[in-house]
Amino acid sequence: MSREKDAANYAIVFFVALSVIFLISPASKIAHTARIAVSYSLYPSLHYGARYSYFVRNVPANFVALLETDQENRGLKEKVRALEMKLQESAAMTSENERLAREMRLSRMLPWAGSWARIVNKTPADWYGSFYIDKGSEHGITVNDTVLGMQDDRAGLAGRVFEVYPKFSKVLLLTNSAASAVCSIAPSGMQALVEGKGTWLLKVNYVPEDAEMAEGAEITTAPGGLLFPPGVYVGKVRKVYPRESFMNFITADVAPAVNVNTLEEVFVLRRNLPRELAGPQEPAK
Amino acid sequence: MSLILEPLLYLASGGFYWWWTQNLTVFGLAPNLLFAAALSAAILAGPVKGIAWCFMLGLYADMLGSGVFGGWALVYSLMGYVVYVIKRHFDMASPFSQLVAALALSWGCLLFYQGLSLVFASINPAGLKIFLVEPFLNALAVPVVFQVFYWLKRRSGIL
Repeated sequence: MSREKDAANYAIVFFVALSVIFLISPASKIAHTARIAVSYSLYPSLHYGARYSYFVRNVPANFVALLETDQENRGLKEKVRALEMKLQESAAMTSENERLAREMRLSRMLPWAGSWARIVNKTPADWYGSFYIDKGSEHGITVNDTVLGMQDDRAGLAGRVFEVYPKFSKVLLLTNSAASAVCSIAPSGMQALVEGKGTWLLKVNYVPEDAEMAEGAEITTAPGGLLFPPGVYVGKVRKVYPRESFMNFITADVAPAVNVNTLEEVFVLRRNLPRELAGPQEPAK
Repeated sequence: MSLILEPLLYLASGGFYWWWTQNLTVFGLAPNLLFAAALSAAILAGPVKGIAWCFMLGLYADMLGSGVFGGWALVYSLMGYVVYVIKRHFDMASPFSQLVAALALSWGCLLFYQGLSLVFASINPAGLKIFLVEPFLNALAVPVVFQVFYWLKRRSGIL
């Protein structure tokens, strides 16, 4: 037992002395470089601290330059990633800016007064039925105001304001199966009812069978309809269906002027409609 | 045989610790498997070999780290000696005594190394998070590492 104790005492004295020598004597360049190389390879993040200069003392300058280059490279990679993110953001903003500028230019050419609103909510269950805009009664929006969308450098009918709240409003789209508008079909100017189908297409109904309605004919709102101002582009005839044997009128599919899927901002026209059409004056709560 | 197996076990301990800290850290924390290996070796091996194992594992920690060189070697060597003294009075083979020893020695080692770093390099290496949490992780790791080392000792006669 005593021999074991002696051995233990000798061992601890030996190893403590060795450790202290390591602690107090500066390691040779080669030893220190080897140590830095090992620790840097296994834990590079350890060398990013403010006390870095302490760790690389007594190490050849070219090795330090190698480490610094690596750290610089890592830092630059981080910067590149951040810049790529910013580039993507700025590309999106530039695209939005261009779109808004184009829409503003178009809206200035419109014969109607109104204001721009941003679409803030679309419900997947009612995609072609309605959406919400970020303007409400506080911004002068009233029920049944006409809502236009801009597409291909042209204003087209999107729908009308259906519900008004102080800070936002609900827009009933023309593609909603409950929506309709009295329209005139070019070139004859014949009037017919355009209705929503709940899909991306519209339907033109009650067209006399002898009427001239060709595919590609432009449809605009008619002066006879009170809800919408006349002359607003509604869409183009896409497909004309032949008369059914039991009906005395024909129908057609209409491609709407405004694609709801790509719409982000809308132009709400101030109509100054008669009180009976403008809906309740008190905004909905 | 043990001349080959012991260096292999030493390298495996260091490598496994490195792999763990690279892949299995939680909130930047991991049990100090070098400490657990040093303590287990000190418990299982004789006094000289135990202290030598502690010294070598400390040297490995010094190589990996970027603090004062020789600091962990000194701390772990002293820990090996303390374990040699303790195991003459207590049964260190039981998991509970290993757990308590790991907890106490972890804090002791961290404080001692902190003192060495402040004296020799004026740097403060251990964060509060490590100081508060790592001893508990070590306490959980030591009985497991001890069982592995014990199994290896019985199988191949190393340590």
